[in-house]
Amino acid sequence: MKKYVFYPGCVMPTEQYAYELSIREIMPILDIELIDVKDFSCCGEPMKSVNQLMTIYLSARNISIAEKEGYDIFVPCPMCHLSLSECQNILENNHEINKKINEMLSSENLCYNKPINIVNTVDLIHDIVGLDKIKKLVKNPLNKLKAATHYGCHLIRPSEIGRPVDSENPQKMENIIKAIGAEPHDYSEKLDCCGAMINTNLPESALTKTGQKLVAVQNYGFDVFVDVCPWCHRMFDSKQKKAGETVAAKLDMPVVYLTQLLGLSFGIDRNKLGLNLNLSPVDKIKFGGK
Amino acid sequence: MSIIDLTSMGEPQKDIKNQINNRLKKLQDEVSEFCYQCAKCTSGCEAHKLLELEPHKIVALLKRGLIDEMLNSDVIWTCMSCFKCRERCPQKVAPVEILFALKNIAVASGKPIPGKYSAMLQSILSNGLIQDVQTISDRNNQAIKRDKLNLPDLSKPVDTNKFQLVLSKLAIEKI
Repeated sequence: MKKYVFYPGCVMPTEQYAYELSIREIMPILDIELIDVKDFSCCGEPMKSVNQLMTIYLSARNISIAEKEGYDIFVPCPMCHLSLSECQNILENNHEINKKINEMLSSENLCYNKPINIVNTVDLIHDIVGLDKIKKLVKNPLNKLKAATHYGCHLIRPSEIGRPVDSENPQKMENIIKAIGAEPHDYSEKLDCCGAMINTNLPESALTKTGQKLVAVQNYGFDVFVDVCPWCHRMFDSKQKKAGETVAAKLDMPVVYLTQLLGLSFGIDRNKLGLNLNLSPVDKIKFGGK
Repeated sequence: MSIIDLTSMGEPQKDIKNQINNRLKKLQDEVSEFCYQCAKCTSGCEAHKLLELEPHKIVALLKRGLIDEMLNSDVIWTCMSCFKCRERCPQKVAPVEILFALKNIAVASGKPIPGKYSAMLQSILSNGLIQDVQTISDRNNQAIKRDKLNLPDLSKPVDTNKFQLVLSKLAIEKI
């Protein structure tokens, strides 16, 4: 059993409970042990517009806390994943900032020493667990379920600092979805942003972005929309009704976390996967075709 | 210390001004010189169609030193930080990072912070996270709390005094 320090971030553990529930449900089945650690904080990325040094400090303190445990870190939120990865990149390459950050860390009795592996849901399942193992675990193949994927901008870009998937043609979620029997299809709007980052100051525009993407996905005739980001999911699922009103469209698109879809194919009870918490019409998802 | 004290300076401070100028100079010298206005950034910009953000023009304005105009404009706050411009720029200019820097400088020079950023910052200062545990509704409109879901306790800073001290220092330092 492989062990990871579990870094939950802010949005997932305070609001997007379905993601956390489904992760905690499927990881033991995949032989992944998650270690809960006290003392984590926000990754800092939401503050990057206000104060970048704060962003780097917050990420560095989280990496230092994980480093003390002696295991790699599992970061399910793409935004946190980018923030921690970028911070590690800066600390490794910029001696001046490294020194400054470590001085500040010492007042919290922390220290950044060396880089650790930072993994996200997609690469953990695709690269570390592997598709062969996923195939063997499937009890309810999701045959003929047409799935659209949404990776989230922060998971795929910028590739210069190393991202878990390809920046222009990501396919790892598609491969995972194929492994559980469903049918992923590429679509023109696949790399479009959900708009969540401007929900802070321009909520109407953010909802317009969300609505436009969902309208496209719905018009293509997809059965399910699959994501791995708590920020994106909050837009596409939690705020789907509002997004529909904003773009004057009737939206009726089931939106699930990848971990929920995997759990369904493994035969796990819907409520254990938090499917009762999705606000989009997930009851429409049928097994073994329509 | 209130959020206003942390994010706006009551009086002009030389140190901060110098730091801002240094950062701007660095941006101008090291980054904007490489841009040859191909506008590949703008062609892929997520905020372009909807909010008329044109990243290549941001770089052009920076090159010409029209900084105040940008700091006073709402346009710098329309970036969705999708990172497409940073990914695709043939000259590695990364307009998204220029926009982050401009927003940081706007905040440091006391311009109003739009939207919920102040509330998020306040929340981080008080409990380490951008928001506290929320009560949400399920599809049947039942109220759901974290502690009813059999999930472990929330991970947040243990020694809040020490954490707040460092963060407050950072919030004042700004750059």
